[in-house]
Parts: sequence; structure tokens; C-alpha cells
Amino acid sequence: MTSTTKGRPLTGRAMIGLEDLTKRCAVQAHTAVDTLNLEIPEGEIVVLVEPSGCGKTTTMKMINRIIEPTSGRITLDGEDVTSSNPDQLRRRRGYVIQQVGFFPHMTIGENVATVPKLLEWDNKRVAAQVDELLETVNMPPASFRDRYPDQLSGGQRQRVGVARALGTDPAVMLMDEPFGAIGAITRDRLQNEFLHPQEDVRKTIVFITHDIDEAVKLGDRIAILQTDSQIAQYDTPERILTTSANDFVAEFIGKGASLKRLNLSRVADIELTQWPTMQIGTGHAEVLETLRQSHRNALLVLDRAGHPRRWADAGDLQGAQDGVLDQVGIAPESVLESDATLNDALNELIAVRYSVAVVVDSDGVYQGVVDIDQINRSVRALRESAVAESRENTQCGILQSR
Amino acid sequence: MNFLEFLISRSEDMLELGLEHAAVVGVSVLLATVIGVSLGVMSYRRERMREAVLAVSGAFLTVPSFALFVLLIGPLGLGAMPVVVALTLYGLLPIVRNTITGLREVDPAIVESAHGMGMSRTQRLLRIELPLAWPVIITGIRLTTLVLLGIAAIGSIVLGPGYGELIFTGLARVGTPVAVNLVLAGILGIVVLAVLFDVVFSALGRFTISEGIR
Repeated sequence: MTSTTKGRPLTGRAMIGLEDLTKRCAVQAHTAVDTLNLEIPEGEIVVLVEPSGCGKTTTMKMINRIIEPTSGRITLDGEDVTSSNPDQLRRRRGYVIQQVGFFPHMTIGENVATVPKLLEWDNKRVAAQVDELLETVNMPPASFRDRYPDQLSGGQRQRVGVARALGTDPAVMLMDEPFGAIGAITRDRLQNEFLHPQEDVRKTIVFITHDIDEAVKLGDRIAILQTDSQIAQYDTPERILTTSANDFVAEFIGKGASLKRLNLSRVADIELTQWPTMQIGTGHAEVLETLRQSHRNALLVLDRAGHPRRWADAGDLQGAQDGVLDQVGIAPESVLESDATLNDALNELIAVRYSVAVVVDSDGVYQGVVDIDQINRSVRALRESAVAESRENTQCGILQSR
Repeated sequence: MNFLEFLISRSEDMLELGLEHAAVVGVSVLLATVIGVSLGVMSYRRERMREAVLAVSGAFLTVPSFALFVLLIGPLGLGAMPVVVALTLYGLLPIVRNTITGLREVDPAIVESAHGMGMSRTQRLLRIELPLAWPVIITGIRLTTLVLLGIAAIGSIVLGPGYGELIFTGLARVGTPVAVNLVLAGILGIVVLAVLFDVVFSALGRFTISEGIR
């Protein structure tokens, strides 16, 4: 039971490397970031989480050379960029900050065109790129290109912000709490939208947040920073949640660790229970016989395409006309797509009256059912495998938390 | 002869003086804008320099205009020249002050995001900061124009061009019936110019301030 995108071993090439990165503030003796070492593998989302303090933002700004490190090295794709021209370096990366930082005097199109224009692309190419990027983030260029940032809603602004950061399709994106200023419901939707293209384009993304839930949801790898930006733990979300490296991490994750883990697995990853089903049109006698043999108290009625239609118990079926099953019983209320998280499944199960939720694939075809016991079992298994895995990794010395 | 008849009899004069007055103010506003915006840009991020620039351009305004015009006869002679120089100095404060305020009011997050995307210092200033500060700067230029339209009249004392000539001629003939008409005509001319300049600035604002920040 491994999920598809998360927790791959550190085999990828390091896209960004931070070596002994240190930033001392001139005024205070205090160090903002002290000898930070971090390797960010190509094509992964690495989330830097820090419960408080500004070490994470300082680190991000150092990666983008907005703040110059006091000492240490930054490498990009194997090349030492600690002292190369910072403006040219920045144009090779997408950069999104919390307030998005739109240029309010420019149209959406002009905003998105910023980096292509800085790189002196010709106008035709810039225009084509802008339209393509707006399409990518589901903002029809014809209706949004010539609007101004003030005319967009929070969610739309965030999408355009991502489009602008994608400007010239950089391999690396730096995102500083991009969803920080957005309401919970929109944020959830944006996070999903954000993950969706990532499955295909696999950009290397450094993502900053103070929210461990967001980190668990988005990160392929999470670095938890403690005082002076020391890395308390750098690991996959599974292992962060199951085996905390120290008390700091454990306390940060808090009591909700088991619940958070539910966000890591998808319904598709667990073994579904098969429930007795009947197609619409099956004869009366056969239906009742199937129900009796199943030792369940109800049947799930499917239409000819395999879509779940009704729950029907013995009473409903007795009264049904021969072969007419699409009006009996009650409609299934809790239906989950197989890419829903276990957390979604649990929510469904708590919210509805039945003890099981029906699982369908993306075409709505019945796959099986899931109940609370199964979720419970999979959480336990997840924990055990993560513990075993982290023990292995510690022995191999792959754990990066220096 | 009533005031209206007086205006009609002097209409050609009025037009010519008006053009001169507008030209001398226009040139001075332009110079003050170039110098003022430059000073603002140079000083808005440095506290010491900012205070110095504001103190000096403020100090010019405290010098009585009459005195400054006379002082400038020495180095610059008579005519339009000393008037333009004096007006430029008087016009600095509103422009410098508004340039500094406008630039400092630009949201740092916007500038940081431009920085993070790879805009150089000059690009940030020209493409982001100045366009965003422009509505405030243009208000300063508008104010300067109004102030200079009035002060320009005093320039007549060093034989400068414009409506001041009418006012000073009127002053020389106090007690005669024509004196009041002369002074009133000068004032009227300046007020009409002020209205016209304001119309021009509204149009300029409409064309140069982005729709996104209006």
C-alpha cells in the first residue's frame, strides 16, 4: 500500500543544493539561518515548514538571492550560483509570494508576460505563451487577458500568480506561502488544482508554509525547521507523521498525527470490500436469492453501465416489480471517487447514515465499498510500514536531518 | 468704459500675454518636474538625503518671490530667463514631496515580487515603482502649476512675460479709472489659464495613469 507520488526514495538528482548556508544579521549577534544543508531533488515538491520565526522566508530569499548569504554555497542543477548574476538567475525560476505581488497597473496578460519580456522574447511568442499559461490555470485568456488584478477574486488571483510564475516554464519554482491569504475552502480547491498539473510536469518546487497540514498534503518531502533554521527532520510526510525525529517535531505535529495521515492515502490504495450487487433488469427471484445468500441486509443496484443507483433491502425488493429495480430502496448518498483521500472517506462515513461508502472510478463505475474498519486497518498498516522504512533509512544514513 | 468693453478693446493683448504666461509657466513646470522627480528618485530610500532635499526645496518657497526675482537680475539679466529659474525653484517642493511620498507608498510586496522575478533596480523603478507612484506625482505637478501661475505674475518686475504686465501697469496708475480694469484683466487671465491647465492635467492623467490603479 504505497501511494503513487509520495515517499519515493531520494534517488533523484539534486536540483537545488544548499551547503552550509548561513545568514547572520548585522545588527544582532543572532543568526537567522545557521549552517543549513539541504538537497532538493529534481521534480519534487519540498515543503519547508517552520511553526514560527522567519528563518524559512530568509532561506527562500537566499535561494533566490534577494538576501545574500553570509557564507555557504547554493547550487542549481549542479552549477554553483552563489555569485552569478542574481537577476538572470531569478528569471530562471518561478517565484510566487503570499500576497501574489501583482503589478496592479498592468493587465493580467502583461503580468503573466513579465518574465518572457525580461528575457526579450518577441511579441508574438510572448502573446502565445501568455494565452497558453492562462489556459493551463483554467483562466480563459479571452475573458481575463485584458482585465486588471483588482477585478479578480482571491482564488483567481492565486491562479494567475501561478501562471505568472510559470512564465517561461522554469524548472524550479519558489513559493512562499502562496495560499496563505486565502479562505480555507478556496485554499483546499487551489491545493488540489496545484497538485494536478504537477503529476505531469514534475517541476522542482520549494514551498514554504507554517501549516503542517498543507505540508503533508502537498509535499513529496518535508523539512521541519526549528530554532535558527536548524532542520529538525527532513523526510517524507509519511515518516514525519509516523516517526518523529525528536520532541520538537512530535510536538509540532501534535495529537492529530493519525488524522493527518489519512490525507496521505487515497481510497484507490486500499483494498475495497465487494458488496453484493444486482443489475437493473435482473429477475425478481434471482435478486431475492442473491440477497439471502449474501448474508447482507441490502443489495446495491447498478445500472447497465455499472453506475450505482439504489440501496435496496429485503423489504424493498419484496415489493419491487419483476426486473424493475431502479425505483426501489434509497439512492446512495455517500459516493467517493477512488482518488479521494481516506480523510474524505472518513468524513463521508461520519456524515451519512450508512456504515459504508460506495467507491466509483472517475467514470462513475462501481468499484467496491469502504467502511470505517478498513480505514482503521490501513492507518495501522501505514504506520507500521513507515516505521520499518525509516528504520532502514536511518541505518543507510540517508536521513538528511543534520 | 466698463470692464467688458475694456477686455474687448484689449483682446489681442490679452491673448498674446496669455500665451507668454502659459509658455513661461509651462517651461518652468517641465523643468521643475524633471529636477523634482529626479531628486525624489535619488532620495526616497535614503533618510538623510530625503530630509535634506525636502528642507532645501521647502526653503525656496520661504524666500519672498519679489526678492528672488530681483536677486536673479545680477547673474541672469532681465526678461524670461530669471523668471523661469525662479519659478523652477519655487515649483520643486510639491513635486519632490509627492514623488517621495508616491514611491514610498508603493506596496513593498509588489516590488519584492518584481525583484524575485528578476527585474533589475532600474527596471523595477521604471516599470513598477514610477508607474504606481505616478498618480501622486501628477497631483504634485498640478499643484506646482497652480502655484507658479500666480507667482509668474510677479515676474513682470524683472520684465518677465505674461499677465503680470497688466497688474503692474495697473499698480502704477492707481487712482485712475483704468487701473482697476488692468488689474482685474490680469487676474482674470491667470484664472482662465489655471482652468485650462487643469483640463490639460485631467486629460494627461486619463492617458497616463493605468486603468488598473485609477
